[in-house]
Amino acid sequence: MTETYAVELRDVVKKFGDVTAVNHVSLQIRDGEFFSLLGPSGCGKTTTLRMIAGFEMPTSGEIYIQGERQGYRPPNKRPVNTVFQNYALFPHMTVEENIAFGMEMQKVPKDEIKRRVDEALAMVRLSGMAKRKPKQLSGGQQQRIALARALVNRPKVLLLDEPLGALDLKLRKAMQIELKALQEEVGITFIYVTHDQEEALTMSDRIAVMNNGIVHQVGGPEDIYEHPADRFVADFIGETNFIPVKVVSLSPEIVVELGTGQKVKAGWAEEGLTVGDKAVLSIRPEKMDLLEPQEVPQTPSEAIAYVPGTVTHLVYVGTDTRHTVALGDGTEVVVRLQNIYVGEEPWEIGETAVVTWNAAHARILKE
Amino acid sequence: MAERLRRHPELQAWLVLALPTLFLLVFFMAPLVIVFVYSFLERGKYGGVEWVFTLDNIRRVFDPLYFKTFLRSFYIAIVTTIVTLILGYPLAYFIAKSPPSRRNALVFALMIPFWTNFLIRTYAWLTLLRTHTGLINVTLMNWGIISHPLPLYGNDFAIILGLVYGWLPVMVLPIYAALERLDESLLEAARDLYASSYKAFRKVTWPLSIPGVVAGSMLVFIPSLGAFVTPAILGGGKTLMIGNIISNQFLGAHDWPFGSALSMVMMIAMLIATLIYFRWTKKSELMS
Repeated sequence: MTETYAVELRDVVKKFGDVTAVNHVSLQIRDGEFFSLLGPSGCGKTTTLRMIAGFEMPTSGEIYIQGERQGYRPPNKRPVNTVFQNYALFPHMTVEENIAFGMEMQKVPKDEIKRRVDEALAMVRLSGMAKRKPKQLSGGQQQRIALARALVNRPKVLLLDEPLGALDLKLRKAMQIELKALQEEVGITFIYVTHDQEEALTMSDRIAVMNNGIVHQVGGPEDIYEHPADRFVADFIGETNFIPVKVVSLSPEIVVELGTGQKVKAGWAEEGLTVGDKAVLSIRPEKMDLLEPQEVPQTPSEAIAYVPGTVTHLVYVGTDTRHTVALGDGTEVVVRLQNIYVGEEPWEIGETAVVTWNAAHARILKE
Repeated sequence: MAERLRRHPELQAWLVLALPTLFLLVFFMAPLVIVFVYSFLERGKYGGVEWVFTLDNIRRVFDPLYFKTFLRSFYIAIVTTIVTLILGYPLAYFIAKSPPSRRNALVFALMIPFWTNFLIRTYAWLTLLRTHTGLINVTLMNWGIISHPLPLYGNDFAIILGLVYGWLPVMVLPIYAALERLDESLLEAARDLYASSYKAFRKVTWPLSIPGVVAGSMLVFIPSLGAFVTPAILGGGKTLMIGNIISNQFLGAHDWPFGSALSMVMMIAMLIATLIYFRWTKKSELMS
């Protein structure tokens, strides 16, 4: 028997006229998971969420919730609830009426509604606000009411469409922590749409990185950051260097040739590359170091790359300094060095420096 | 002067408002006061008034002869309002749900009839509805569908039809404005919270469109109650509304005080009806 997922998408396609918003997406979201759909605007993440909610119907493919095929089931017949980007609180109802709405539609007994509304308000710590209208609340409070209105129905899955997008940075950070804690407390599967990679990395158990309607990679935050599957993911998540290379060998070891003709090793190469292909070597700025030319060992380790260059630019950013180094062929790389060295001479523009990294951190990706 | 204005922004406001205030005082408030005063005076021989105080005019308004017309006018105006609402709401809903690029064109199309003179459009109805020579009856009889002409003209039906036709766009526009402002995600939220599409309409769309419904109803009800062109043409000279009687007092009977009294009573009745209506919609808004 196959595992039952909280939500499963099988080869889902959504077209709006000629535009393909979601292109053959398959996802398995586990029970109790905090799962994020991450990508730039227009990548299809919101459309994917809206199809799970039932606001949009897939052009082809199937969506399963708790193992049940949803087909053309309307939103009111699905065991999911949504927290909308603009909260979508009913302006003509009080906070209390907003929260009670879903239960009233489901004909929950009056006294139980009352009890659960009180519980939900306590959960989001807004007990005193029951009689207010949404307009009388701050953005953060409205956000929490929207959350309470959805969670009070005890959905199997909670869908959140950029719920923190309208809040200011400080409040957003606080709400991220609160949301994550809440999710762990209630144990409900969260599917969270965001374009903010930091938000996704902070909160998620797993993340699906999307672009142009395609899922590029699904994995845990660490996995996605450390082992990006392709150039889009490497570029979208965090900061990275792309050094143009040519593939020299793929097995038994991965070797590529830099623009200067120097050959270096790499830890991983994207599937589909063949010897002779043009590619990029992707490496994070904090995975690299700078050495004085005389510091390079006489018999360098094969697993370490040493590439000479010239420091062209320095940016001090507090915790560390970003060093831009031009390699022999003019390719510029950014090296982030933490400002922890005591008494050492800082690097200066124009100085010759050897950029060095562990081959295991270098990933060869298609251009 | 300029300096003084800059220092006192409230003076600027007064300056801007001076002209419209003057206009309203002279051409709106003053006539209203005149009508009020005239309704308590005796009629002059050849129009005009004698400055003698009397309550006879007011008393005459409640004479069954006129009061019946009063009630009939109310009945016609209420039915007209209900029918325009029933026709106008779906129309407004359809326009509001159309793609934004098409909405303006549809609103524009709705306004096109206004380009033609109201009188001409009402006479056009006459050619359609007339009992023996009207296009509808002639056609139906030629086709053998009916053997006797249908009573399409010279009755309440004809007046209501003419009024509905004339005031429909006025009902649609404010409802459209309310529905167009309605955030689509509110409906999605309702559906998401287990509401059927009917319940979502009943609990979200309808209550949030009530301000438009109220505005539209007022804009239709008030001119319908005071209508005199439509009943004069389509009522066939038999079916009259209060507007016809008032115009007759001024233009035919030269009884200005009685015309004024009728106007006054109608205005007060309208005010009361409006207040009741506002209260009722407020309550139904709260209930849903």
